[in-house]
Amino acid sequence: METATHQTDEELLIQGLKSGKEADFQRAVRLYTPGMMAVARFYLDNASAEETVQDCWVTVINAIHKFEARSGLKTWLHRIVANRAKNHLRKNKREVSADFSETLDPELADRFAPNGRWATPPSLKYNDSAEALMENSALSDCLDRHLSHLPETQRSALMLYEAHQHKSDDVCNILDISASNLRVLLHRARQKIFLMVETFQETGEC
Amino acid sequence: MLMCRDLARIASDYIDGELGPMDRVSVKMHLLMCGHCRTFIGNLRASVDLMRMHSSQKVDEELIEKIDEQVAESLRLKD
Repeated sequence: METATHQTDEELLIQGLKSGKEADFQRAVRLYTPGMMAVARFYLDNASAEETVQDCWVTVINAIHKFEARSGLKTWLHRIVANRAKNHLRKNKREVSADFSETLDPELADRFAPNGRWATPPSLKYNDSAEALMENSALSDCLDRHLSHLPETQRSALMLYEAHQHKSDDVCNILDISASNLRVLLHRARQKIFLMVETFQETGEC
Repeated sequence: MLMCRDLARIASDYIDGELGPMDRVSVKMHLLMCGHCRTFIGNLRASVDLMRMHSSQKVDEELIEKIDEQVAESLRLKD
Protein backbone atom coordinates (compact mmCIF):
# COMPACT_ATOMS: atom_id res chain seq x y z
CA MET A 1 0.00 0.00 0.00
CA GLU A 2 1.16 3.49 -0.70
CA THR A 3 2.70 5.24 2.23
CA ALA A 4 3.37 8.77 1.06
CA THR A 5 0.98 10.09 3.67
CA HIS A 6 3.24 12.86 4.92
CA GLN A 7 3.04 15.67 2.51
CA THR A 8 6.69 16.42 3.06
CA ASP A 9 7.56 12.87 2.00
CA GLU A 10 5.74 13.32 -1.26
CA GLU A 11 7.22 16.78 -1.77
CA LEU A 12 10.71 15.45 -1.24
CA LEU A 13 10.05 12.65 -3.68
CA ILE A 14 8.73 15.08 -6.28
CA GLN A 15 11.82 17.26 -5.85
CA GLY A 16 14.01 14.22 -6.40
CA LEU A 17 12.07 13.24 -9.51
CA LYS A 18 12.29 16.76 -10.88
CA SER A 19 16.06 16.76 -10.46
CA GLY A 20 16.27 13.36 -12.14
CA LYS A 21 17.55 11.33 -9.19
CA GLU A 22 17.55 7.66 -10.11
CA ALA A 23 17.04 6.50 -6.51
CA ASP A 24 13.89 8.58 -6.21
CA PHE A 25 12.58 7.17 -9.45
CA GLN A 26 13.15 3.69 -8.09
CA ARG A 27 11.23 4.58 -4.95
CA ALA A 28 8.38 6.11 -6.94
CA VAL A 29 8.24 3.13 -9.31
CA ARG A 30 7.75 0.78 -6.35
CA LEU A 31 5.22 3.03 -4.70
CA TYR A 32 3.02 3.87 -7.67
CA THR A 33 3.33 1.07 -10.23
CA PRO A 34 0.73 -1.19 -8.53
CA GLY A 35 -1.94 1.52 -8.73
CA MET A 36 -0.93 2.41 -12.28
CA MET A 37 -1.31 -1.24 -13.27
CA ALA A 38 -4.78 -1.28 -11.70
CA VAL A 39 -5.76 1.67 -13.89
CA ALA A 40 -4.24 0.19 -17.05
CA ARG A 41 -5.86 -3.19 -16.45
CA PHE A 42 -9.27 -1.54 -16.45
CA TYR A 43 -8.79 -0.99 -20.18
CA LEU A 44 -6.15 -3.42 -21.40
CA ASP A 45 -4.94 -6.99 -21.23
CA ASN A 46 -2.00 -7.64 -18.95
CA ALA A 47 0.74 -7.46 -21.59
CA SER A 48 -0.53 -4.18 -23.07
CA ALA A 49 -1.07 -2.79 -19.58
CA GLU A 50 2.55 -3.53 -18.60
CA GLU A 51 3.77 -1.92 -21.80
CA THR A 52 1.63 1.15 -21.22
CA VAL A 53 2.81 1.58 -17.63
CA GLN A 54 6.45 1.25 -18.72
CA ASP A 55 5.94 3.93 -21.39
CA CYS A 56 4.29 6.17 -18.84
CA TRP A 57 7.32 6.10 -16.56
CA VAL A 58 9.53 7.20 -19.43
CA THR A 59 7.05 9.98 -20.18
CA VAL A 60 7.11 11.01 -16.53
CA ILE A 61 10.87 11.70 -16.72
CA ASN A 62 10.22 14.47 -19.22
CA ALA A 63 6.85 15.59 -17.90
CA ILE A 64 7.51 15.77 -14.17
CA HIS A 65 8.73 19.37 -14.35
CA LYS A 66 5.23 20.29 -15.52
CA PHE A 67 3.65 18.65 -12.48
CA GLU A 68 2.04 21.18 -10.18
CA ALA A 69 1.07 19.62 -6.90
CA ARG A 70 -2.60 20.50 -7.36
CA SER A 71 -3.83 16.95 -7.69
CA GLY A 72 -1.31 14.82 -5.82
CA LEU A 73 1.32 12.74 -7.54
CA LYS A 74 -0.71 9.52 -7.42
CA THR A 75 -3.74 11.03 -9.15
CA TRP A 76 -1.52 12.73 -11.72
CA LEU A 77 0.22 9.45 -12.56
CA HIS A 78 -3.06 7.57 -12.70
CA ARG A 79 -4.51 10.12 -15.12
CA ILE A 80 -1.49 9.78 -17.42
CA VAL A 81 -1.94 6.01 -17.46
CA ALA A 82 -5.68 6.27 -18.08
CA ASN A 83 -5.16 8.60 -21.05
CA ARG A 84 -2.49 6.38 -22.53
CA ALA A 85 -4.60 3.27 -22.07
CA LYS A 86 -7.61 4.92 -23.68
CA ASN A 87 -5.50 5.94 -26.67
CA HIS A 88 -4.24 2.39 -26.95
CA LEU A 89 -7.84 1.15 -26.94
CA ARG A 90 -8.84 3.62 -29.63
CA LYS A 91 -5.98 2.53 -31.85
CA ASN A 92 -6.98 -1.09 -31.45
CA LYS A 93 -10.68 -0.26 -31.72
CA ARG A 94 -11.58 -2.22 -28.65
CA GLU A 95 -14.23 -1.23 -26.20
CA VAL A 96 -14.45 -1.72 -22.49
CA SER A 97 -17.48 -3.76 -21.71
CA ALA A 98 -18.85 -3.90 -18.25
CA ASP A 99 -22.25 -4.92 -17.01
CA PHE A 100 -23.73 -2.07 -15.01
CA SER A 101 -27.30 -3.30 -15.20
CA GLU A 102 -27.52 -5.67 -12.26
CA THR A 103 -26.31 -4.74 -8.81
CA LEU A 104 -26.68 -8.22 -7.28
CA ASP A 105 -24.11 -10.91 -7.93
CA PRO A 106 -25.95 -13.89 -9.53
CA GLU A 107 -24.67 -16.26 -6.86
CA LEU A 108 -25.97 -14.02 -4.10
CA ALA A 109 -29.23 -13.35 -5.96
CA ASP A 110 -29.93 -17.10 -5.93
CA ARG A 111 -29.96 -17.08 -2.16
CA PHE A 112 -33.20 -15.13 -1.93
CA ALA A 113 -36.69 -16.60 -2.04
CA PRO A 114 -39.21 -15.20 -4.56
CA ASN A 115 -40.72 -13.09 -1.77
CA GLY A 116 -37.40 -11.28 -1.36
CA ARG A 117 -36.41 -12.84 1.96
CA TRP A 118 -33.28 -14.88 2.55
CA ALA A 119 -33.65 -18.51 1.47
CA THR A 120 -30.02 -19.29 2.27
CA PRO A 121 -28.98 -16.65 4.79
CA PRO A 122 -25.38 -16.01 5.78
CA SER A 123 -24.83 -18.78 8.28
CA LEU A 124 -21.80 -17.59 10.07
CA LYS A 125 -20.95 -14.35 11.71
CA TYR A 126 -17.28 -13.53 11.53
CA ASN A 127 -16.08 -12.77 14.99
CA ASP A 128 -12.55 -12.05 13.96
CA SER A 129 -11.40 -8.61 13.08
CA ALA A 130 -9.99 -8.02 9.62
CA GLU A 131 -6.51 -7.91 11.22
CA ALA A 132 -6.98 -11.39 12.69
CA LEU A 133 -8.41 -12.70 9.42
CA MET A 134 -5.44 -11.36 7.49
CA GLU A 135 -3.01 -13.33 9.63
CA ASN A 136 -4.34 -16.42 7.96
CA SER A 137 -2.03 -16.76 4.99
CA ALA A 138 -4.30 -19.30 3.28
CA LEU A 139 -7.09 -16.72 3.32
CA SER A 140 -4.73 -14.12 1.98
CA ASP A 141 -3.72 -16.42 -0.90
CA CYS A 142 -7.37 -17.17 -1.55
CA LEU A 143 -8.13 -13.47 -1.70
CA ASP A 144 -5.35 -13.02 -4.25
CA ARG A 145 -6.75 -15.79 -6.37
CA HIS A 146 -10.28 -14.40 -6.32
CA LEU A 147 -9.11 -10.88 -7.01
CA SER A 148 -7.29 -12.09 -10.08
CA HIS A 149 -10.49 -13.72 -11.31
CA LEU A 150 -12.66 -10.63 -10.93
CA PRO A 151 -13.66 -8.92 -14.18
CA GLU A 152 -11.03 -6.25 -14.89
CA THR A 153 -13.47 -3.40 -14.54
CA GLN A 154 -14.58 -4.53 -11.08
CA ARG A 155 -11.07 -5.21 -9.91
CA SER A 156 -9.72 -1.85 -11.02
CA ALA A 157 -12.59 0.02 -9.36
CA LEU A 158 -12.11 -1.96 -6.16
CA MET A 159 -8.34 -1.46 -6.15
CA LEU A 160 -8.45 2.25 -6.77
CA TYR A 161 -11.22 2.84 -4.25
CA GLU A 162 -10.23 0.47 -1.44
CA ALA A 163 -6.54 -0.25 -1.74
CA HIS A 164 -5.38 3.06 -3.19
CA GLN A 165 -8.00 5.05 -1.33
CA HIS A 166 -8.94 7.36 -4.14
CA LYS A 167 -12.10 9.36 -3.62
CA SER A 168 -15.11 8.35 -5.72
CA ASP A 169 -14.78 11.46 -7.89
CA ASP A 170 -11.17 10.63 -8.67
CA VAL A 171 -11.96 7.02 -9.57
CA CYS A 172 -14.80 8.12 -11.86
CA ASN A 173 -12.51 10.65 -13.47
CA ILE A 174 -9.61 8.27 -13.98
CA LEU A 175 -11.74 5.40 -15.27
CA ASP A 176 -14.18 7.61 -17.14
CA ILE A 177 -17.29 6.10 -15.59
CA SER A 178 -20.32 7.64 -13.92
CA ALA A 179 -20.75 7.68 -10.16
CA SER A 180 -23.65 5.23 -10.34
CA ASN A 181 -21.64 2.82 -12.49
CA LEU A 182 -18.77 2.98 -10.00
CA ARG A 183 -21.23 2.05 -7.24
CA VAL A 184 -22.32 -1.00 -9.25
CA LEU A 185 -18.75 -2.14 -9.95
CA LEU A 186 -17.76 -1.72 -6.31
CA HIS A 187 -20.78 -3.54 -4.98
CA ARG A 188 -20.39 -6.41 -7.44
CA ALA A 189 -16.74 -6.84 -6.52
CA ARG A 190 -17.42 -6.68 -2.79
CA GLN A 191 -20.11 -9.34 -3.04
CA LYS A 192 -17.61 -11.65 -4.71
CA ILE A 193 -15.16 -11.08 -1.88
CA PHE A 194 -17.95 -11.57 0.66
CA LEU A 195 -18.90 -14.90 -0.92
CA MET A 196 -15.29 -15.99 -1.03
CA VAL A 197 -14.64 -15.17 2.63
CA GLU A 198 -17.88 -16.91 3.60
CA THR A 199 -16.93 -20.12 1.78
CA PHE A 200 -13.47 -19.97 3.26
CA GLN A 201 -14.75 -19.46 6.80
CA GLU A 202 -17.24 -22.30 6.47
CA THR A 203 -15.15 -24.90 4.69
CA GLY A 204 -11.57 -23.75 5.11
CA GLU A 205 -11.28 -24.07 1.35
CA CYS A 206 -10.74 -21.47 -1.27
CA MET B 1 -41.39 -2.29 2.54
CA LEU B 2 -37.72 -3.02 2.13
CA MET B 3 -37.05 -6.74 1.68
CA CYS B 4 -33.80 -8.59 2.36
CA ARG B 5 -32.98 -8.75 -1.35
CA ASP B 6 -33.48 -4.97 -1.71
CA LEU B 7 -31.15 -4.43 1.20
CA ALA B 8 -28.52 -6.69 -0.37
CA ARG B 9 -28.70 -4.54 -3.50
CA ILE B 10 -27.91 -1.30 -1.69
CA ALA B 11 -25.68 -2.71 1.07
CA SER B 12 -22.48 -1.10 -0.22
CA ASP B 13 -24.15 2.29 -0.51
CA TYR B 14 -25.29 1.89 3.09
CA ILE B 15 -21.81 0.92 4.28
CA ASP B 16 -20.20 3.85 2.45
CA GLY B 17 -22.81 6.35 3.66
CA GLU B 18 -23.99 6.99 0.11
CA LEU B 19 -27.71 6.42 0.74
CA GLY B 20 -30.25 9.22 0.94
CA PRO B 21 -31.85 9.83 4.35
CA MET B 22 -35.09 7.95 3.56
CA ASP B 23 -33.33 4.82 2.32
CA ARG B 24 -30.98 4.98 5.24
CA VAL B 25 -33.86 4.95 7.70
CA SER B 26 -35.50 2.04 5.82
CA VAL B 27 -32.30 0.02 6.04
CA LYS B 28 -31.90 0.77 9.74
CA MET B 29 -35.51 -0.25 10.44
CA HIS B 30 -35.01 -3.47 8.51
CA LEU B 31 -31.78 -4.24 10.36
CA LEU B 32 -33.54 -3.84 13.70
CA MET B 33 -35.92 -6.62 12.74
CA CYS B 34 -33.75 -8.94 10.65
CA GLY B 35 -30.84 -10.86 12.13
CA HIS B 36 -29.85 -12.40 8.80
CA CYS B 37 -29.36 -9.00 7.25
CA ARG B 38 -27.45 -7.79 10.32
CA THR B 39 -25.08 -10.71 9.81
CA PHE B 40 -24.92 -9.99 6.09
CA ILE B 41 -24.03 -6.33 6.57
CA GLY B 42 -21.51 -7.20 9.30
CA ASN B 43 -19.82 -9.80 7.12
CA LEU B 44 -19.85 -7.58 4.04
CA ARG B 45 -18.25 -4.83 6.10
CA ALA B 46 -15.60 -7.27 7.37
CA SER B 47 -14.91 -8.31 3.76
CA VAL B 48 -14.48 -4.67 2.76
CA ASP B 49 -12.04 -4.11 5.67
CA LEU B 50 -10.18 -7.20 4.60
CA MET B 51 -9.89 -5.86 1.07
CA ARG B 52 -8.62 -2.54 2.34
CA MET B 53 -5.92 -4.21 4.38
CA HIS B 54 -4.98 -6.67 1.73
CA SER B 55 -2.71 -4.57 -0.36
CA SER B 56 -2.55 -7.32 -2.89
CA GLN B 57 -1.57 -5.10 -5.74
CA LYS B 58 1.49 -7.23 -6.03
CA VAL B 59 3.21 -6.40 -9.22
CA ASP B 60 5.60 -8.66 -11.00
CA GLU B 61 9.12 -7.94 -9.74
CA GLU B 62 10.31 -8.41 -13.32
CA LEU B 63 8.15 -5.52 -14.46
CA ILE B 64 9.55 -3.28 -11.72
CA GLU B 65 13.11 -4.17 -12.76
CA LYS B 66 12.33 -3.56 -16.42
CA ILE B 67 10.95 -0.12 -15.56
CA ASP B 68 14.03 0.63 -13.41
CA GLU B 69 16.30 -0.18 -16.34
CA GLN B 70 14.29 1.88 -18.81
CA VAL B 71 14.13 4.83 -16.43
CA ALA B 72 17.88 4.64 -15.80
CA GLU B 73 18.58 4.58 -19.51
CA SER B 74 16.24 7.48 -20.25
CA LEU B 75 17.81 9.51 -17.44
CA ARG B 76 21.26 8.90 -18.91
CA LEU B 77 20.11 9.95 -22.37
CA LYS B 78 18.60 13.09 -20.93
CA ASP B 79 21.88 14.18 -19.32
